[in-house]
Amino acid sequence: MSGRAPEGAGSSLFDERLSRIQRAIRFEPVDRIPVVFMGLAFAPIHTGMPLSKYVVDGDAALEANLDAADALGDFDGFNSFPGWIVPYELTASWLSRIALPGVELPENTLWQVREAEVMTLDDYDFILDHGWPAFVESYLPRVIDMDAFLRYDEWYAGGLAAATERARERGYPSVAIGGTTIPFEPLCGGRSMPEFFADLYRRPDKVKAVMDVMLPHMIELGSSSAMSGYAPGLWVGGWRSASALVAPKIWNEMVFPYFHRIVEAMAAQGLISVLHLDHDWNRDLARLLELPARSCVLNPDGMIDVRKAREILGDHMAIMGDVPATLFAAGTPDDIHAYVRDLVRDVGPTGLILCPGCDAPINTKPENMEAFVAAAHEFGVTLRGEDA
Amino acid sequence: MTNELATVLADLEEQRVYGLVERLLGDGVDPSAILAACQEGMRLVGERYEAGEYYVSDLMMSSAIFKKVAAGLGPLPGGGSAGARGKVVMGTAEGDIHDIGKDLVVSTLRAAGFDVTDLGINVTPAAFVQAIQETGATVLGISGLLTISFDPMRDTVLAVEAAGLRPGVKIMLGGGPVNETVREHAGADALGADPPAAVRLVDAWTETAR
Repeated sequence: MSGRAPEGAGSSLFDERLSRIQRAIRFEPVDRIPVVFMGLAFAPIHTGMPLSKYVVDGDAALEANLDAADALGDFDGFNSFPGWIVPYELTASWLSRIALPGVELPENTLWQVREAEVMTLDDYDFILDHGWPAFVESYLPRVIDMDAFLRYDEWYAGGLAAATERARERGYPSVAIGGTTIPFEPLCGGRSMPEFFADLYRRPDKVKAVMDVMLPHMIELGSSSAMSGYAPGLWVGGWRSASALVAPKIWNEMVFPYFHRIVEAMAAQGLISVLHLDHDWNRDLARLLELPARSCVLNPDGMIDVRKAREILGDHMAIMGDVPATLFAAGTPDDIHAYVRDLVRDVGPTGLILCPGCDAPINTKPENMEAFVAAAHEFGVTLRGEDA
Repeated sequence: MTNELATVLADLEEQRVYGLVERLLGDGVDPSAILAACQEGMRLVGERYEAGEYYVSDLMMSSAIFKKVAAGLGPLPGGGSAGARGKVVMGTAEGDIHDIGKDLVVSTLRAAGFDVTDLGINVTPAAFVQAIQETGATVLGISGLLTISFDPMRDTVLAVEAAGLRPGVKIMLGGGPVNETVREHAGADALGADPPAAVRLVDAWTETAR
């Protein structure tokens, strides 16, 4: 989907905020460093919505996030568009079963990926023989109830567009709508990390051949899920493929080339790849210079050294982050205040979007989120320097 | 040849490891000596990890090789060297079902010769306490990947204290988001930031006790 926002519709607030985000991505001066919300499990808790409802109802999920953003401060938007259905999106990304509140878990318990070796070695051959779409169709019943999956699919076909328009009316753009990942990630989720990592050593040629079959479909997933009129980019995520987890020889062959191809394909369509990277990628930050300039936003979770990233990457790509989840859950408002101050000083003022690292967790202290927005407004203006 | 075994394991040459083990067994080498050589290989892997030459994928691969060799050797007379260095109880905190990091620490500790009782995932404070009482472990390791594990970690430390066990038990925490702030929050003794660090920590604690 590449939905365009209708001309003249929506609020001027939406346009003002979207422009602020776009200028930050382009390293243009901003009146205020944009600050975006990301608290996918925290939002329903904060607004009193049962998690069991939130995870299976895309419209409810959006409302919880809009209400939380309204209540917590003056955000410029969302990192990733929060009209979503948890098992639909996570199952597609991980090829794993998702333990859900209200199903396997108590009503207000956090959903979790139930990682196990569901995908077999024979499945590699199936993909090579029959292609990726045929495999996904045959595989999904192993990890999700298909009646539910088809219901969720219907919502994405119709309800998502309406949801993006509602967010626009409420004044909230997103940095990213839709997303994709490199072939490494769903294979890792489906095989389980221990088995997949062993595959990378035991049968690298076969795994790479499978990845090559998957790549065009991962690119198509990105293209078709983005909505450029409502958000400049889409997520291109990596979590188990992090530099700290994968030996360089494997990373250089099985990870980065696929990021490169996906980012180039998105850039050719005018889409910004939001590199939503969990864990530590410090070893390979310089490789990101090989990606087209200003075609990405680096979105770390607090484990990448963002100062080093800024030093290496310069104005090659903006950074969106990265107040750590641990700080939101276990820190104090003073901790958050100091973190944002230092982040703006060291990484801003241009090319920076302030955001929780990865995702503010379910047990975020509300006062910490309020402190985050307040600090963003305080330092996003006062420390912006000559450039602004 | 046992030196060679340690080297090829450290080099992650899986098939050569299995071939060498078979030859050594065929030559009548004591299985305990074979296990000791593999433990030496795992120690070298840990060294390379800490030197920045190896990454988590290398740790996982070495662990897979070690586990397969150890399983093939079967129970050793007198238990081999397993458990000789001390007893540890490990598990993922209540509410969290992630086990990959915890499993890697468990297998690394076992490869280093510690007797580890692995309680699995979503472990209640009471279950941790019971396991310490039953095994006489002097080290407790609690893992968590999610921030929701922080309070259960603290509750577990409190439960160990309430059971009167705390003076004889050192407690380490591990997992992606776990840092010094969390350690302080939970009242644990130290962080086992990665498998080799956890081994070093447990080694120091149990050596003091030995």
